[in-house]
Amino acid sequence: MRLAREDLFRLIEPLLPLVEKPSRYLDHEWGAVEEQPGPFHACLVYPDAYEVGQPNLGISILYDALNGADGISCERCYLPWHDMADLMRERHVPLLALESAAPLASFDLVGFTLAHELVATNIVETLDLAGIPVRAADRAEDDAIVIAGGPSVWNAEPLAPMFDAILLGDGEDAIVEIAACVRDARAAGASRENILLALSRIQGVYVPSLYDVVVDSTSTRWGYAVPRPGTSAPEVVLKRCVADFASTPACAEHIVPYMGIVQDRLAIEVLRGCARGCRFCQAGMTYRPVRERPMDQVVEASERGLAETGYDELSLTSLSTTDHSQCAPMLNELDERLSGRGIRVSIPSQRLDSFGVDMANAASGSKRGGLTFAPEAGTQRLRDVINKNVTEEDLERAARNAFEHGWRRVKLYFMMGLPTETDDDIMAIPAATHRVLEIGREVVGRGKKSKVQVSASVAVFVPKAYTPFQWAGQLEVGEVERRARLLLGANTDRDVKISYHDPRTSLVEGALSKMGRAGFDLVLAAWRRGCRFDAWTSEFNYDAWEAAAEELGYDLPSIASEGFLLDARLPWDHTSPGVSKGFLQREWRRAAQGVTTPDCTRDSCVGCGVCPALGVDNVVWGERA
Amino acid sequence: MINTVAITNSKLNQYRLRVRYRKDGRLAHLGHLEVINTINRSVRRSQLPFAVGNGFARRMRLQFSQALPVGAASLGEYFDLFLTEEMDPKAALERLAASSPTLLAPMAAGYVPYGLPALEAWLTRSTWSVNVIDETSVEALSQGIDAVRARGSLTYLRGEKEKHVDLGRTLVSCEVRPSGNGFLLDCRSTEEGSLRPAILIGAAAREEGLAMPALSVCRVAQWHEDEDGSLVEPM
Repeated sequence: MRLAREDLFRLIEPLLPLVEKPSRYLDHEWGAVEEQPGPFHACLVYPDAYEVGQPNLGISILYDALNGADGISCERCYLPWHDMADLMRERHVPLLALESAAPLASFDLVGFTLAHELVATNIVETLDLAGIPVRAADRAEDDAIVIAGGPSVWNAEPLAPMFDAILLGDGEDAIVEIAACVRDARAAGASRENILLALSRIQGVYVPSLYDVVVDSTSTRWGYAVPRPGTSAPEVVLKRCVADFASTPACAEHIVPYMGIVQDRLAIEVLRGCARGCRFCQAGMTYRPVRERPMDQVVEASERGLAETGYDELSLTSLSTTDHSQCAPMLNELDERLSGRGIRVSIPSQRLDSFGVDMANAASGSKRGGLTFAPEAGTQRLRDVINKNVTEEDLERAARNAFEHGWRRVKLYFMMGLPTETDDDIMAIPAATHRVLEIGREVVGRGKKSKVQVSASVAVFVPKAYTPFQWAGQLEVGEVERRARLLLGANTDRDVKISYHDPRTSLVEGALSKMGRAGFDLVLAAWRRGCRFDAWTSEFNYDAWEAAAEELGYDLPSIASEGFLLDARLPWDHTSPGVSKGFLQREWRRAAQGVTTPDCTRDSCVGCGVCPALGVDNVVWGERA
Repeated sequence: MINTVAITNSKLNQYRLRVRYRKDGRLAHLGHLEVINTINRSVRRSQLPFAVGNGFARRMRLQFSQALPVGAASLGEYFDLFLTEEMDPKAALERLAASSPTLLAPMAAGYVPYGLPALEAWLTRSTWSVNVIDETSVEALSQGIDAVRARGSLTYLRGEKEKHVDLGRTLVSCEVRPSGNGFLLDCRSTEEGSLRPAILIGAAAREEGLAMPALSVCRVAQWHEDEDGSLVEPM
């Protein structure tokens, strides 16, 4: 039932002294759009705690776009922590948006960010707290239209029953079109069914209710989706892509939170897309093509954003910032303009070569925290399999360069469970880590005072949709633990720390990455057993997930570890980021042969299919180093 | 009395601007660190010529008065901002006000001698208004406060730590407000610690067998207490 739009902060206020971190629920931050005249009201929801959701750049971009559109207002909403949610249920207080403190169930349009698979139960919790029917099929004519978008839409099927529509790809233009479409259809008195039909005609918008799931001999056990006859819904929904990235606002973050949040700094997106072609990386395949923002725009937006927000740290974000063709002059220019103001510039990850270290050096000024590299695999053979185009020498040169520039702590990211991985590949991880430590000691010295430390963090590989490894099965938990013991047992030095991710969390993530629409029953059953905030180590409850699976007759390990046939129709085949299935199949075969594929921003076209499918091109402003 | 002329530290060529601000409405629920971060960013937005420390982290030179408990409002909070240029304090106040959230608005600004002790240690006396906003009897609480005071000290848990407060030194006076709906407390902070009004009221409620009442707490004013016991205005 659609609730009335009214300010209900008075219901939340008495609860504030009773909960931890009340600043999660206050609103009134600097830069928040407090005037919400509408008349069309949208609310963007990041289904996690405020401190996790507030720094999300995607929400900032869409918030700006919607609030800048005529007749449309946009607010934010985050999932209350357990203590607040319990009190709200006890006192019958519905979930409220921040700016107006109006019930989420009073909005015309509610949009969720799908940041990763483990937000699934949080979405159920959000809708339930709001009093919006969890299943789209159960919503009344007048209920809010509930949509989703974000990096994790590429197997949206296990969540699809909750959404009226799902946006694939870039949202800055599409979100306004979606809001305008709903507004106009409502104004014309259209039925909910007709509103959804109208939405399905917008490029990039997938309307799950217009598709049936078919399971047959050509598919996996999860089936594939086909348009319902007579709906004119497209057979394949192609993502939205902003071709002229430089025409979008460079500084999207204007809200300055009161509380400490996970990325408490100004973020400027310097480029979108990455063409390095790592075969495990979903973002690398789904955000193509590469579109750089010109250096002058980045520098001007950084200065303006810092002045407007008062942040003392600037992050130049992207999938691979040091690949920006103007990275070096951009950092030099920022250093010149920002010097003496106590402002720190950071880049989110370092490219694994000397250039990457030079850029980290240019960004960090005199500050030397830790430096992070991601070799991903221990042997050259396996790095070739995953198309991580770095060599042993790159790692050694980068490490030496880092220690020579004054860094003392180096962190290395690896994965375990990659296709074709053997025990030799596993044992090469501690070997590489020790080699980096040795280089540090050679450069800095061996004494305790040298403070050289190297850590290796090993994640469990989870096969994701629209990557060349989408057909792979995930390594079983028992085998992950055996390989982890090998890893830990091979560590012989106190200055090396090796850790690995909880394989059970990865198992749930893996199962949700593979399942089709039937997976929603699992999500719902897990939520009923109390699962929420599953991405928080402190909150994750594997036993509840296992019990939920058992109740439905599923076996989580067998779901996650199941490989798919190369010619099978997949649960996500009807949604496309533009990269062709033929290219992914070719990459899968090249992986098996250990053959690498170059980066098309440095070499010739590799035929991924994105540019012709979307009518776009790579946009690179200079020569990439 | 607001000083309009800065007294510089000739060595550093810096000027110490003292600002009084309020913490009000829903922003009373901010924690001390959150207030510090917010004001730090407000100062940056104001583009005032703030000084940056010479330490490793190169932080803005900014000092605050003692932390307010989360949930407590205030009409008299202070921060000292060190500037590298002498500017008209009125103009500085205007720029700060324009760049601050309304519920943390600066209300007055003036220069103070550069060499004064740190604000947190210097402001040792404070007046608090505590309103009881539920049905709990103020009279009963008043009797409870008398009983607690008679014992001379108060022991309570903060997290898992046991804390002791010497009420003889930290609670200067406690009166029922003329409206009858709460108390006015005059408190002193010492090197051993200071008294949080809600802790006193909680102890008084327990003394009388009552549940912790719902309170609205506001620090009304702060002073420096001189050696002879006289109170000095912070500005």
